[in-house]
Amino acid sequence: MKFTIYQESRPGCRPNNQDRVAYSYSRESLLMVVADGMGGHLHGEIAAQIATQYLIESFQQAAQPQIRDELMFLSRSLTNAHNAIVDYAYDKRLPDAPRTTIVACLVQNSVAYWAHAGDSRLYLIRRGRTAAQTRDHSRLQLMIDQGLITEDEALHHPARNRIFSCLGGTHSPQVEFSSATPLFANDLIVMCTDGVWGNLEGDEVVDYMAEANILEASPRLLSRAEARGGLTCDNLSIMSMRWHDDYADEQPASISTNTMPLDTITTKMDGFGRGGRQTEGNPLSENEIEAAIKEINQAIKKYSRFDSR
Amino acid sequence: MPSQINSPLPSGFQLEQYRIEQQLSLGGFSIVYLATDDQQVPVAIKEYLPNSLALRKAGEIEPQITEEHQAAFRYGMKCFFEEGRSLAKLMHPNVVRVLNFFRANGTVYMVMQFERGRTLQDFIHRNKGHIKERFIRGVFTRLLNGLREVHAHKLLHLDIKPSNIYLRNDGTPVLLDFGAARQTLAQDTPMLKPMYTPGFAPPEQFNDRDNLGPWSDIYSVGASMYACLSGSAPQRSDERIKKDLLEPATKRWAGEYSIHMLETIDWCLLINPLERPQSVYALQKALLTRSRHIAPKPPTTLLGKVGTRLRALLRKS
Repeated sequence: MKFTIYQESRPGCRPNNQDRVAYSYSRESLLMVVADGMGGHLHGEIAAQIATQYLIESFQQAAQPQIRDELMFLSRSLTNAHNAIVDYAYDKRLPDAPRTTIVACLVQNSVAYWAHAGDSRLYLIRRGRTAAQTRDHSRLQLMIDQGLITEDEALHHPARNRIFSCLGGTHSPQVEFSSATPLFANDLIVMCTDGVWGNLEGDEVVDYMAEANILEASPRLLSRAEARGGLTCDNLSIMSMRWHDDYADEQPASISTNTMPLDTITTKMDGFGRGGRQTEGNPLSENEIEAAIKEINQAIKKYSRFDSR
Repeated sequence: MPSQINSPLPSGFQLEQYRIEQQLSLGGFSIVYLATDDQQVPVAIKEYLPNSLALRKAGEIEPQITEEHQAAFRYGMKCFFEEGRSLAKLMHPNVVRVLNFFRANGTVYMVMQFERGRTLQDFIHRNKGHIKERFIRGVFTRLLNGLREVHAHKLLHLDIKPSNIYLRNDGTPVLLDFGAARQTLAQDTPMLKPMYTPGFAPPEQFNDRDNLGPWSDIYSVGASMYACLSGSAPQRSDERIKKDLLEPATKRWAGEYSIHMLETIDWCLLINPLERPQSVYALQKALLTRSRHIAPKPPTTLLGKVGTRLRALLRKS
């Protein structure tokens, strides 16, 4: 296997990052995961963390160095991840089980399989066009499908964040699986949370990423989405992977697994407490502005008492 | 996004209790107005209006800030508050006084005491190459009193230059524009690069911001003094690191000014921060020590040579 991969997660303007991204590969298999813990529910980041960690651990156990039944693996580990979140909530006596969206993609033998629940997306981009894309599990997408509203109207619809399927929570997830999709050289898989695609228009993800070097284009895409998100920008995460021919020349910064030992697995996953927003970069809120002005005027008053002039 | 020209508030505009008279200056970060308060006292009002992020079209009052730039705009506001905070706590005759701070028109304003006079920059232009040593020593010794107060409050000015040094009509200097003060925050926001003026900023301000300290302001003071002599800014410090073309003051003006002052200027302008005067006090001490005699101009004419010989002979006997 030969591929180039990039992952990044940013908090946006939120005080903490509830997104999680991780990938792991053995000599013959690659798993990528993006999860978006749901704000509004308690402990969204815990759900996202449990889900990613569970999937990666299952992969590490199962990929020796291949996974026997790809779709079965995805199905089983997603269901178990859901149960792990519910168990956690039960153990800790949380009033409400935390929830997370998930999109996971498994590649082996040059064939990709993916599964998702919620509105984190996967795009398969081939020769500058979207060859496949996940369908959001949102009420809005249902309405679009039924022809009740148009895609343009959906962009600003108040319920655009409502999703009907996720891991955790009270209902069992409705996971949607892809068919086995062969990958060709130069195919690109982009997985991202709604903080990214929600702040971009139409085909921007494709336009930005299609032919570019993903190591440069991915952070640029995040920056663009972050700028568009303005003061209330949601967490943003991206995972992008470009597939290369096995016999292709060594690409800069690409990963070749051909020389890996059979029983080794490499994983990239950030733990808790990473990627939180540094307070310094936080733009001011209304209250902070008022407080700063008040503080300055108090200082002026205090010190002008000593004014001799 | 290209920078645009923001139109100023119209004269006669009533801004809280102040009446705008005219625009005094326009910077990349703000506009400064001359205004009068309700007692007809003139004040200077600085309006936060970064021209890369906010646009005020002619005839409009409230600047437009696109959603995309909101975050950066607020972020820059933080720097503006920093300036207000720094100045509010400073009470010194050689540092500009802040009188009020308020929010209006979707942005923020800082009201400062208005001083009659002109900038040192102006003065240098008018008296190119004819500035007396007495004047330089007088202005900078007093200015350093103000700077000492700034440093005593654990602040750095970081943008000292002749155009930020104001000379009142009675000749006393006032340090203006603390916009760059501790603007270290802005480092990673490309849209709001810390502003400094090439020629007056020390080398560590370009590439090594962890090493900023009183010695950095001291470099700028040295550069401003150098500019008083030469009439223009010295070579940029980031270029000096690559190839130092700055002619030492001791060499360039030998005989025209006291060797002691020239040495002090060169001392401030050393590239290595550690070799410069480490505190304003150290520099002030150096400036206040009056050298006894001004080195005589090296004689150029035959008559002059004979003259010096004679004088030397007389001294011997």
